Amino acid sequence: MSWSFVARYVELVAWSVYLGGALVMELVWRPAQEHLPMSQIGVACQKMGRRYRWIALAMLCVIGLTSLTLLPGRASETLSISSRFGRSVLALVLCWCALVALVVSMAFSAHPALHVRMPSDLDPDARAAARAEVGRAIRRMDRTLRSELAIALTATLFAASLSAGGLL
Amino acid sequence: MGSYWWGIVGSYLHLIGMAAYLGGSLTMEFVVGPAQSAIPPAQAQVMGQKTADKFLIVVWGSLGLLLASGIVQAFYKGTNRMVLLGAGWFSSSYGWTQFLMIILWMVLVINGLIMTFVLRPKLAGKMSAQVGAQQVQAKQQEMIKAARLITRITRIDLGIALFLPLAGAGLIRGAGLFTGTALFDLTALMGLH
Repeated sequence: MSWSFVARYVELVAWSVYLGGALVMELVWRPAQEHLPMSQIGVACQKMGRRYRWIALAMLCVIGLTSLTLLPGRASETLSISSRFGRSVLALVLCWCALVALVVSMAFSAHPALHVRMPSDLDPDARAAARAEVGRAIRRMDRTLRSELAIALTATLFAASLSAGGLL
Repeated sequence: MGSYWWGIVGSYLHLIGMAAYLGGSLTMEFVVGPAQSAIPPAQAQVMGQKTADKFLIVVWGSLGLLLASGIVQAFYKGTNRMVLLGAGWFSSSYGWTQFLMIILWMVLVINGLIMTFVLRPKLAGKMSAQVGAQQVQAKQQEMIKAARLITRITRIDLGIALFLPLAGAGLIRGAGLFTGTALFDLTALMGLH
């Protein structure tokens, strides 16, 4: 079993885990939220986000590393910007950078905003404001997850085109 | 649409199908499932039921997508067309790998059918107020047994789903999975190679 074969397998699994996670968030978790109260959605999102962000980041790192080890095997002319393959690889790299930026922003900005502790002596107005803040944070998180999924699906298209010589 | 585009569409949908199944299962198991423990039991039950219902749709969709895109991919890569139709399944590493993938896909479908039509209805069954204590206990035992079986089958499916990309990686390199391995040597010994 050659290293490139192992790397390809690891890359496939890592990409599947990453994209599958994004698909579950959009197709499973978002519709399920409609049946839960806002306060519980916040708690569940927070708990899920804690794991999901590290899994997503780890998978993106694995994808980056395996791609780095697989690409040098290609002839240098196919990796040039003048070839269809090279341009598709460049598009993939850009998508990967965008995904890393989105996951990092989700992990260190959108996700912590979900974590709002309300003291028991809070007056009704302040409580309503805090709840509205959590609602905004959930919507922001939803938007980030949707953008992440859209970019991941675009990246998958470029990746799928590589075996046929590229897309652009 | 030429074979170039069909090839890309086939690969694209195959990757999405595999990601939805494998990544989806892992996310359900290790991200969505544990989050249920953070909310009150009544709402956790609603969350578990709703997410499982939706995920079942994703699972069936991805299994259908894997079959359709697998056929498209093999059909538009001319040399593989005959292997897809069964000619040469057992005479090459590529054919063996493809045959194995189809068998494993069938196992996933059978497991999915068992979970959808046998085990999940047992979990969702409701009891009327008139039933006795013994019947309640029997029903609870049945539900526990069904839940255990679902967990076991899910783990088997996860193992298969983790193996399938390995076979897929073998097909991508064009040689299949069994080149130089004991299994492929066995097929050679049996005169199948």
